[in-house]
Amino acid sequence: MMEKMIFGRFMPGDSFVHKLDPRSKLLFVFAFIIIVFLANNPVTYAALFVFTLLVIFVSRIKLYFLINGLKPVIILMAFTFLLHIFFTKEGELLYHWKFISIYEEGLKQGIFISIRFLVLVFMTSILTLTTSPISITDGLEVLLNPFKKLKLPVHELALMMSISLRFIPTLMDETDKIMKAQMARGSDLSTGPIKERVKAVVPLLVPLFVSAFKRAEDLATAMEVRGYRGGEGRTRYRQLKWDSKDTLAILLLVAMTALLITLRS
Amino acid sequence: MTTSTVNSKSKLRTVDLVYCALFATLMMIGANITSFAPFMVVGGVPITLQAFFAILAGLVLGSRLGALSITVYMLIGLAGAPVFARFGGGFSQILSPTFGFVVAFILVAFIVGKIVENNRSKKMYITAAIIGVIVSYLIGTNWMYAAYMLWFSAPEAFTYKMAWLWMIPPLPKDLILAVFAGVFGHRIQKVLKVR
Repeated sequence: MMEKMIFGRFMPGDSFVHKLDPRSKLLFVFAFIIIVFLANNPVTYAALFVFTLLVIFVSRIKLYFLINGLKPVIILMAFTFLLHIFFTKEGELLYHWKFISIYEEGLKQGIFISIRFLVLVFMTSILTLTTSPISITDGLEVLLNPFKKLKLPVHELALMMSISLRFIPTLMDETDKIMKAQMARGSDLSTGPIKERVKAVVPLLVPLFVSAFKRAEDLATAMEVRGYRGGEGRTRYRQLKWDSKDTLAILLLVAMTALLITLRS
Repeated sequence: MTTSTVNSKSKLRTVDLVYCALFATLMMIGANITSFAPFMVVGGVPITLQAFFAILAGLVLGSRLGALSITVYMLIGLAGAPVFARFGGGFSQILSPTFGFVVAFILVAFIVGKIVENNRSKKMYITAAIIGVIVSYLIGTNWMYAAYMLWFSAPEAFTYKMAWLWMIPPLPKDLILAVFAGVFGHRIQKVLKVR
């Protein structure tokens, strides 16, 4: 459980995709989300699907993890599929039974939209399955750099993200401890009307907030004592390296975009 | 507690950075409170305290820091940390129609913080919290509708009204929690003395 909390959905490995620079992966996925909308006929959707399968194959991620990522949206997908099938009344009539009638266009749309969503979910899942949250943070910091001009505190955001990631397991532990401590003192948390139960979170939240803020102050003092003075002139422990693999990945995506533009109708 | 950094208005103090970071982590606890405190399941439906914590972020940290801390929460969630409701996380969450609520919380924290900046009465805290919930519903539901249109090219049968009907059931619960957040925020703010 704790292990899962630290790494999130990240699955360590040493495939081609794992070894890519987080910056190229982020750019790749952002661009992919956009080019998905270029597809508008069977050939382009097939191309997208095959492309995604290839990426999955290269990343050597077990299909199980990808399917797992689908779980929260599967109902939504099915719902939309049915909406398209039953409510699009264009093209040839394929099937008719009492009040149910399925038209060609509806079926086509339903399948297209399902494929679109499937490739989007798979591609975005691959990003977080092959990249640890901390390297995504590093990648984001560099990619967002231009926004510094708009007064977005990019360095600070990245630092906050790292600190926050670091404190997830700690605060979870803390919550668990406070919970048990209050139960040991005899606070009854599991019965009574809703109002009483909502009130029962107070003895849980007050100590949680106080201890979290105490921790924050300690950490801030520790950082300043060690000479933290903001992003200016700070050197990095984890270095990002852009090499030929990353250029290759971006070129592949450019090729895919060109292919989609030529094949779309 | 005082830190030695220059306390100018534009620059974030180190301690502010850390407050934001920890509040983002607290959001994660709030989103998944049921797995720590089983009593928060009411009538089979797990209650998430995300809106509650987003409002608190605004009340306790103020508009700017509050909004920043929720931004951090959103970003670490997208980066793959399991911080969203039901320990969800990962970049694919951006496709989820309910992702709009996470985005809305940034604005909620900001607005709530702005409202109480000048008037720190308990009444104002509660008013701010209720406005916060309404803002989160306005943005969240519109986003849901837009996302559904974009990702799924939803057919005509899916109307704007349907989106609202989908979203209305949890509203009373969130309004009650908002009042609670106002009262709680007013109380905890004195204990924490962030500002």
